Amino acid sequence: MMEKGLYLYCVVAGNETRGLEIKGIDGQPVLTMPIDDLTAVVQECQTPIANDDMKILSDLVLIHQAVIDLAWERFQTIVPFSFGTVVVERDGKSKEENLREWLERESETLKEKLRRLEGKAEYGVQVSWEPAKMMEKITRNDKEVRSLQEEIHSKGTGTAYLLRQKLERLVKERMEVAADAYFKEFFQGVRGQVEEVRVEKVRKEDPSRQMLMNLSCLTPKGETSKLGEFLDRITKIEGFHVRFTGPWPPYSFVNF
Amino acid sequence: MKLEIDNDDLKHGLLGLVMGIVEIVRDTLRIQSVKRMESGTLTGVQIEKLGNALIELDRTIDKIKEEQGIAEAVRSVRDGLDDLVNRMVDTVADPAGVRKMGEESAFSRKIAGGKR
Repeated sequence: MMEKGLYLYCVVAGNETRGLEIKGIDGQPVLTMPIDDLTAVVQECQTPIANDDMKILSDLVLIHQAVIDLAWERFQTIVPFSFGTVVVERDGKSKEENLREWLERESETLKEKLRRLEGKAEYGVQVSWEPAKMMEKITRNDKEVRSLQEEIHSKGTGTAYLLRQKLERLVKERMEVAADAYFKEFFQGVRGQVEEVRVEKVRKEDPSRQMLMNLSCLTPKGETSKLGEFLDRITKIEGFHVRFTGPWPPYSFVNF
Repeated sequence: MKLEIDNDDLKHGLLGLVMGIVEIVRDTLRIQSVKRMESGTLTGVQIEKLGNALIELDRTIDKIKEEQGIAEAVRSVRDGLDDLVNRMVDTVADPAGVRKMGEESAFSRKIAGGKR
């Protein structure tokens, strides 16, 4: 059953009464609701707001992104909400009352977050390596690996099969140790150049590459030259690739 | 109960599931066999026999997968199990995230037809 709701984009500091000149989901106007020295950027909506159609869903995510980008440009500092946050009528209270109550209750937390995020932007840092290249590099001078390889050639097929299993596990172990060491080195390097870092889940890439590290970094908007220099050094290492994205609104540093 | 398989989807799903489990058992056998070999309790002849038996098992699995056209189904069963385990690990590692999902109050996160 469809229910009416208030779709929540973001919260900004101060009392803003002017809406945003952009059409939101379902072409609805994007409104500002000032409450207690904070302003919620919202729109009226139906909930659930989408079905399982991926095309529709991705269009909605783009609208969400566009509204937040505009709000970020206009108000400079925002606490963005993730896609699909809708305040509904509940416990005999209207959606507006529920939003007001929530904003009042979280007022201090939100203001603290806004202070912390002022003038800052989020940047994404993703480091990948090419497992095939790295495997060769890591095991090239490894005595244990070399002697197993030689043993495999000298044995019968059945024994060679089991030794290959053993070799596979050994190489995997070596790769894990190397990945761990690189992660620590890169993480510390990045952390030294930004204000805050969050470790995100690594994502699957095409089979020739493997994501080693996925970080969200918070730093003053535009101040990325030192981080850039550090990342350049990583790209120069054979077999490594870096993806650097941003500036983004600080989605990962909000925790709502 | 008599099970009649006349639907290709069902055949793929069921055979894929069975073969996925067979593969997992095979992986465990491999690990155990290497451990036996390393423990030094097997003779060279026994090691060779054990390895050959596993090669035979690999061939049989590959043959069945190819003949039945279920390689994709088997992969998806195994990927599905991997995802399941990952989610379980996440849940154990981050109970706060689960708690948060339980606190619905006035917020609705029903994005797509009630799914999260």
